[in-house]
Amino acid sequence: MLSLHEAEQQLNFWGWPANGSWELIVGNTVLQFNPKTLIMTWITMVLVALFAVCATRSMSLNRPKGAQNIFEAIFEFIRGLVNDNMDPKKGYSLISIVVTYFIFILFANLIGLVPTLTSPTADYNTTLGLALCTFIIIYVYGIRYKGLSYFKHYIQPFVFFLPIVIIEDFAKPITLTFRLYGNIYGGEVLIAVLLGLLGGWTHVLGGFVASVIWLAFSIFVGFIQAFIFTMLSIAYVGQAVADHH
Amino acid sequence: MGLEFNATILAQIVDFVILLIFLRLVVYKPLVKVLSARSEHIANNISAAEKERQEAEQLKAGYEAEMRLAREQAQEIIQKAAKTGEDQAAEIVEKAKGEATRLKDSALAEIEREKQRAVAELREQLASLSVLVAGKIINRRMDDEIQHSMIENFIKEAGELQ
Repeated sequence: MLSLHEAEQQLNFWGWPANGSWELIVGNTVLQFNPKTLIMTWITMVLVALFAVCATRSMSLNRPKGAQNIFEAIFEFIRGLVNDNMDPKKGYSLISIVVTYFIFILFANLIGLVPTLTSPTADYNTTLGLALCTFIIIYVYGIRYKGLSYFKHYIQPFVFFLPIVIIEDFAKPITLTFRLYGNIYGGEVLIAVLLGLLGGWTHVLGGFVASVIWLAFSIFVGFIQAFIFTMLSIAYVGQAVADHH
Repeated sequence: MGLEFNATILAQIVDFVILLIFLRLVVYKPLVKVLSARSEHIANNISAAEKERQEAEQLKAGYEAEMRLAREQAQEIIQKAAKTGEDQAAEIVEKAKGEATRLKDSALAEIEREKQRAVAELREQLASLSVLVAGKIINRRMDDEIQHSMIENFIKEAGELQ
């Protein structure tokens, strides 16, 4: 039986710098990056781009097939969610952002299930980055469609609500961040733990069953979490642009 | 173990924006175009189907009217034919009757004529026989004039006999 750390070290097939970081010095500040997360993100981006490009090359109007069908289904599903949550005119420009959220997060979640790779979303830096995008988009859309009167809702109906609304505003990106991170990181840790816990002869005698079940469940969780992140982003923006009263 | 946020956040935001721009330019544009083209295509199909259905209904109504007309005409033709047939039959019967009458008449006339002729012939034979008989009875020579007057008398008498 291996400890989690040992299992992770054995899974480090590609020789990731385990605890190291890339540093970029701009002026006096030192920017630190997690190399593993970045590399996995780039791989994910390439896969997403490949999938999307393959799905939309030589598209058929009358008889869509294969990847085009899947991509169209995803696109139309999320477009339906956007149109349900806000005025389709206001939501039009949001569609491409949330579709990208969904596909990117989905691929990021699933890539961690490939042995020796990890999810970019198992790093809270990634999820916080995405959640901050949502945070900014909420304000951008709110101000775009309501002007400065968007900020009125902070003090309505009473000024007394101001701190509560501010807390709510910051709770949105934080909950988005840690819900996604927790689910995916937890899944990855359990994959490593199951591999370490049930190593050697146990695997031959059926110890892999637990891993297989957990992998299947992780696929499900990957879809659900990508959907929740997308759905909540849409709902938050829909709240911001909705015409109250 | 505390949370250690670092510049990876910025890198991830930049990565996401790059991916977003790429997908928007390369993927979503043609996809949206295809989707809207398809919905337009479907809408066109539906309206075209609706139009065709209406046309078909019109055609059907037209055909039904034509069929009704044709049936009426056929009925008329049959009736006319039946009437013509009856007329012809009557005409034929009429003609046949006429013919029969004519034949009968001509036969009667023929009979009459034959009768006349037979009577005339009979008279002549009767005359010559009478002369022969008279000659034999009288047994004397008679000149032609006396003979002729005798014949005339005889004929007159025979004619009165009739």
